[in-house]
Amino acid sequence: MQTAFTPDQLARPEIAEADGILKTCVHYGFCTGTCPTYVLFRDENDSPRGRIDLIKAMLEKGGAPDPKTVHHLDRCLSCLSCMTTCAVKVDYVHLIDIARSHIEKNFRRPLPDRMLRLLLAQTLPYPARFLAALRLARLAQHFARLMPGRLRGLIGMAKARPAKPEILSPQVHFAQGERLMRVAILAGCAQQALDRSINAATIRILQRHGCDVIVAEGAGCCGALPLHMGFEAQAKTLASANVDAWSRLLNGGLDAVVVNASGCGTTLKDYGHLLGSENAKRIGALTRDITEILMQLGLRAGREMKPYRVAYHDACSLQHGQKLIAPPRQLLKRVGFTVLDVPEKHFCCGSAGTYNLLQPEIANALGQRKAAHVESTDPDIVAAGNLGCMVQIGRFGATPVVHTVELLDWATGGPVPAALQGRALREPPAAASAPEGAAISVTPDQTPPDSAGIW
Amino acid sequence: MSNNLEAFFSDIGKMLGADGVNRSEATIRRYGENTMACDDVLPAGVVYPASTADVQAIVRAANTYHVPLYPVSTGHNIGLGSRAAARSGQVVVDLGYRMNRILEIDEKLAFAVVEPGVSYQALHDELVRRGNKLMLDVTSGPPQGGMIGNALDKGAGYTPYFDHFGFSCGLEIVLGNGEVLRTGDGALNSETLANWHTSKYSFGPILDGLFAQSNYGIVTRMGVWLLPRPPMVRSFHFTFPDDDDLEAVIDLCRPMKMSNFVPTLFRVANDLYLCGSEGESPEYAASKGKTSISDEGRRALRERHGLGAWNVSGAFYGPSSAALEPMIQRVRDHFGQSGKATYIDHADAGAIPPLQVAINAFSGVPSLGELGLLKWRPGGGNLWFLPGTPMDGKIANEFQRICRGIYEEHGMDYMVMNVCGPRFARGLHVMTFNREDADERGRADACYRRMSEEVASRGVYVGRAPIQYHDFHMAQAMPVYRDACNSVKVALDPNGVIAPGRYGIG
Repeated sequence: MQTAFTPDQLARPEIAEADGILKTCVHYGFCTGTCPTYVLFRDENDSPRGRIDLIKAMLEKGGAPDPKTVHHLDRCLSCLSCMTTCAVKVDYVHLIDIARSHIEKNFRRPLPDRMLRLLLAQTLPYPARFLAALRLARLAQHFARLMPGRLRGLIGMAKARPAKPEILSPQVHFAQGERLMRVAILAGCAQQALDRSINAATIRILQRHGCDVIVAEGAGCCGALPLHMGFEAQAKTLASANVDAWSRLLNGGLDAVVVNASGCGTTLKDYGHLLGSENAKRIGALTRDITEILMQLGLRAGREMKPYRVAYHDACSLQHGQKLIAPPRQLLKRVGFTVLDVPEKHFCCGSAGTYNLLQPEIANALGQRKAAHVESTDPDIVAAGNLGCMVQIGRFGATPVVHTVELLDWATGGPVPAALQGRALREPPAAASAPEGAAISVTPDQTPPDSAGIW
Repeated sequence: MSNNLEAFFSDIGKMLGADGVNRSEATIRRYGENTMACDDVLPAGVVYPASTADVQAIVRAANTYHVPLYPVSTGHNIGLGSRAAARSGQVVVDLGYRMNRILEIDEKLAFAVVEPGVSYQALHDELVRRGNKLMLDVTSGPPQGGMIGNALDKGAGYTPYFDHFGFSCGLEIVLGNGEVLRTGDGALNSETLANWHTSKYSFGPILDGLFAQSNYGIVTRMGVWLLPRPPMVRSFHFTFPDDDDLEAVIDLCRPMKMSNFVPTLFRVANDLYLCGSEGESPEYAASKGKTSISDEGRRALRERHGLGAWNVSGAFYGPSSAALEPMIQRVRDHFGQSGKATYIDHADAGAIPPLQVAINAFSGVPSLGELGLLKWRPGGGNLWFLPGTPMDGKIANEFQRICRGIYEEHGMDYMVMNVCGPRFARGLHVMTFNREDADERGRADACYRRMSEEVASRGVYVGRAPIQYHDFHMAQAMPVYRDACNSVKVALDPNGVIAPGRYGIG
C-alpha cells in the first residue's frame, strides 16, 4: 500500500513505524474471515484491512480524528486473529497501538467515555485500588439499574465472579528439593484482586518443580491494559517499573519471568519494542508463559487423574500473540485429562482486556458465541490461560472454568481448583481413558482408535 | 440501468431488511479488490441472503429489473479473482455472511450437507467436536475458504477424496429464472429424499457438472462425502537436486498412483514453491523485480530449508505406524532406484514448515502455512496459472522447461507444484508480483498469456483460471463448445442475470 506522509511526519518515530507497517498491507483480505467484528457485522470498516485504511487516513491527516474512525478503531478487540491469518504478516498489533495512542492524544471523547476510561486506567492496573472498586461495585449492585449502561456492566462482572483476592508481598518462595531455576513471577494487577488461586497454583507448581519463585519488590501491572486503551505513557511507566524490578534480580541469576495471564505475557515479551532499552529486551526475552516453563522443566505427574473432559479455550494472546497452541494441550494430556478442542477456536471470547467493559454489546455477543461452542463439546471442565477469558466464558456458560495451571497443580499434588470444589464431576467412562483422548487434532497423529472406517 | 438498480435495491431492502443490502463506498471498493494483473472491478452493491428463498427472491428481482448478479461464497478465491465480480456494475450476492450453516452430518454414511458460507475450518472443527471420526479433504489454501465455492470452481485437495466437485453429491441450485433445482437423486419429486447426498447417478442426465465453472445458477446447498479418519497418517518425502529430475520424479510417481499403492496424491513441488512460503525473495530489492531469482539464490534457499529442486510428498493411512512401515520401506526402495532421491521421514518433515503443510493437507487439517507464498514479492499481486500435464516424465519435464523459460523471460520467479494422480498432474503455477508497479504487473499479465498460448499450442488447456482471463480462455475453446455453453445459458438463465462473463459465458 502506498502512503503519503510528509518528511516532517516521518521524522516522528511512531509515524515512521506506522508508515513501514502500512506499506506491507496489500489487501489480500484473508484477515476478514477471521476478524470477529467483520464476521459479526460485515462492515468493511470493522475489518482489519478497513481499519488499516482508517488508520492510514487518520495519521496522514494528523490532528483530531473523525468520530467515525474512532468508532471503528474502538471496536477492534486487538485479538490479533488477523495477524495469524495474514499472508504477508502485517504488524497490526503495533499499528493499532500507535493509532490508539494518537486517538487519546488528539480526540476529545464525550465526558462519560472519558470518565469511564480514566476510571479503568486508574483502577485496574493497581490491585489495591481495583479491590476497593470491586467492593464498591458489590455495594452498588443494589443500585445497578440506576447506573449508566457500561458501569452497570462493570457491576455485573463484579457480581459474576466473586473476588478472592490476595495481593502478594515481595518475597521468595523457595524450591522444594533441588533448585533447578530461579524465576520471577508476574503477580499481576486485576488478577490479584479477583482470583488468588491462579498465582497460588503457579507458585506451588513451580516450587514443586525445583524453582525459587520471586515476587519482586516494585513489580506490578504489566502495562497492557492502559497500552491498549491508548494511555501509552502510563503503560511505559508501569513497564519500566517492572523492568527495573526484575533487572535487579539479574545479578543473582534469573532464568525466567513467569506469567500466568497470557495477555500480560504477550506484552512482557514485547517490552523490548515498547521501551527500547537493553534491559527491556532482556526481560522480554526471559518471559515465559507458565505452560512454556513447565514444558521446559518437564512436568512430573503427582497423582493419577481421571480423564475428565477438559474443553481447552485458546486465549487470543496465547494462540495469536505468543503462538502457544500445543504446550497447554500437551501438559493437560500428559497428566491424564481428555482435552477437547473448541470449535471456532481462532475466535475471541470478547473479553479482550477492558473491551468487555467498553464495548459490552459486542463482547456479550462474542461471549455467548464462545460459551455455546465450549458447551457444545460436552465438557466437565473448561480450562484457559487467561483470567479475562475465564471470567467472560464463566458469565455465559454453565461449566466450571479454571486456569490451566490450576489443573496442572492439582494433578501434580496441589489442591482441587477452587472452582471445582464442592462440585460433583461426572465419572468418566472407562473407554475415555485412552491416552490420546477422543476429540483432539492438534497434530494429525492424535486420532482416536474408534474411526468410522476399517484400517 | 441506474433506475433499475435503485428499484432493485429498494425491493431487496424491503425483502431482506436494511441489513440485507450494502452499498457503502467502502463496501463497493473492497468487494472490487483483487490480486490480478488488472484494475479493481467495482460492483454496484452487495446483498446478503439468509436462505434459499432469499436467493430466489434476489434472482427474481434481478430478472425483473435486468440487474446482473455475481454470487460468492466466502470470497477467498485469492489469485483467481478474490470476490471481485466478472464485470463491474454487477451486484455481489454474498452467500457467506448469513448462509453458513452445516445443515447435516450423517456419521454413519459419512457425508455432510453445507451452505455456501461453510468454510473448511468450520466443518473440520465440527467433525473434531463430534469425535474426529471423519475427516474432510481440505485445500492447502485459506482455512476460511468456502467448500461450495471451491468445489464449484473444481478446486482440489490431496487425500483420496481430493476431487472436491467429484466428491460432492447432491446440489440445490437456484436457476437463473428463480426456480430451485435439485440434482442427483434429489431430483425425485418427493418430500423424502433418501439418496440425495449418497448417490450421484441414478435416473436421467447428470446435471451437476453444468454448475461447475459456469454461471447457470446459484448453488445454495451441497452434499460432501467424508473419509473415515485413519488412526494413523504417516507421510514420506523425497528431495531431488536438479530441475530436470522432474522427468524421473513423474515416472516414479505414476505407477504408485496407477495401482493406488499410495492413497494420497503426490505433491511434487519445486524449490521456490516451498521456500517461498517461508520468506520474501532475497533478491527482489536488488533486482527491483525485473529479473528472476538467480540459481545461486535458489541453491542457498534449498540449503537453508533442507529441500531440493524438486520435493515429493505423499502419505499412507493405516491402523498404526508399525503397520505402515512396510509401505514406507517399499516407497523408499522405489524412489531409491533413481539414485538421486534423499528421504525425509514423517517426524523430520514435521520440523520443516513447508513439509508440515503437506502433512496437514494429507491429514485433512486446514492450515495457513502455504499462504506465505503470497509475500514472496511485495505489492499484493498474485495469479494462479493452472494447466496440467500427462503423467509422462518427458512431457512434464518439457512443460517445466517451457514455463520456467517464460517466467524468466518476463522476470518472474518460477514457482510450481505438480499435484499428481495416476494419469494427470495439475500444475499449480504461482505468480507473485508487485501489483502496484505498472511494469511488473504488465509483465505478469504477458507471462500468463504467453504461457497459456504456449501450452495450448501443445494441446494443454487450463483448469481454474483467474477471472480476468475467462473470456481469453473461452476463446481458446472449439466454437461448438462455446456455442453449447451459451445455449445452456439461454435455457437456464434466459435474461442472463447470473454472473454474465464468468468462465466466458454470457
